[in-house]
Amino acid sequence: MKFTLIIDDEKKTMKIREKLTIKDVLKDFKIPLEAVVVKKNGEIVVEEEQVNDGDIIEVIRVIYGG
Amino acid sequence: MSCTKCGSENVIIHRRYSGQHLCKKCFIETIQKKVLKDIKKYELIKKGDKVLVALSGGKDSTTVLDILSILAERNIIELEAITIDEGIKDYREKGIEYASETCKKLGIPQHIFSFKEHFKITIDEIMASKPPRKACTYCGVLRRWILNKEAKKLGADKIATGHNLDDEVQAIVMNYLEGNIENLTRIGPATYSQKFVTKIKPLREIPEKEVTAYVMAKGLKVHLEECPYRKTSFRKKIGTILTGLSKDHPTILYSTLRGHEKIRNALKKELKGESILRECIRCGQPAARDLCKTCTLLKEIGRLKDEIHSHNR
Repeated sequence: MKFTLIIDDEKKTMKIREKLTIKDVLKDFKIPLEAVVVKKNGEIVVEEEQVNDGDIIEVIRVIYGG
Repeated sequence: MSCTKCGSENVIIHRRYSGQHLCKKCFIETIQKKVLKDIKKYELIKKGDKVLVALSGGKDSTTVLDILSILAERNIIELEAITIDEGIKDYREKGIEYASETCKKLGIPQHIFSFKEHFKITIDEIMASKPPRKACTYCGVLRRWILNKEAKKLGADKIATGHNLDDEVQAIVMNYLEGNIENLTRIGPATYSQKFVTKIKPLREIPEKEVTAYVMAKGLKVHLEECPYRKTSFRKKIGTILTGLSKDHPTILYSTLRGHEKIRNALKKELKGESILRECIRCGQPAARDLCKTCTLLKEIGRLKDEIHSHNR
């Protein structure tokens, strides 16, 4: 199974064997949940959401000021 | 998992501090209601006020403008925006562009002012001269000077800024750690002073993550990029610590804010009369000493010349 991860303007193709949640993905990248909003296939989702084959996951960091 | 309010299955946010799960519609509604409720609770705005939003084009100020436009539409307030160009190359241009687009879309008049026209120097030029302080100090002080001066000229009753919960708690912790106890008395939902236009913070109780989710859920066009100077700031270090703490203590930001509210009044009594505001002998703006903070900083970097802003009196 593979999915696309967009983070900090970088696009990566991720290959995974098991089912993951957004929370697991963020944990792998050591990103606190409080510091991001995540979109799955263009829609905002909660961290408990499952990542499925072919998904596009976009991680938007919130610590910008503004 | 379903929305705590309407039962919809399309949940977009899980508020760990309250346990709520919300769908897009209910989330947007709760944010707007909470902000409007806080405006009422803290008496931030009264009917007929002319409110000026300090609009950078970023997520926070755009959210303030968006929510206050509800009050403008109902003819409760008069709403305008003020955007300041500090002169940060390859960064500020985009923010100004988005801010102008939002104002046009909402039909709100926008005023743009720059450091260059007021101080004859940009923040990039200040930093290139290797000054003794960090960029955020010059930027914040000089920006507030322009805001207050222009808001007075425009006849504004209030200046609304985009400070969110994270910003506010960072300020509390920073001032505490740096021993700036007098500053702690000034942190609150509104800053009142006879010599300054009242500043209000309608998003003070909304977490930064939720402000980001709000602009995305509403499809607002905002400049989501970190200021190049922020990397070096003390505020950023404190923000990182607080975000880390929130992981295991989801209510920590709110408890810090409430704790500060309890001690603020005691501190005010204790420090009463220690700082009396007068007028800067140089520019006429409010000052705690002979020179206001802006003139002090400009003097420090050798920029306090007659032509700079004596004409601004």
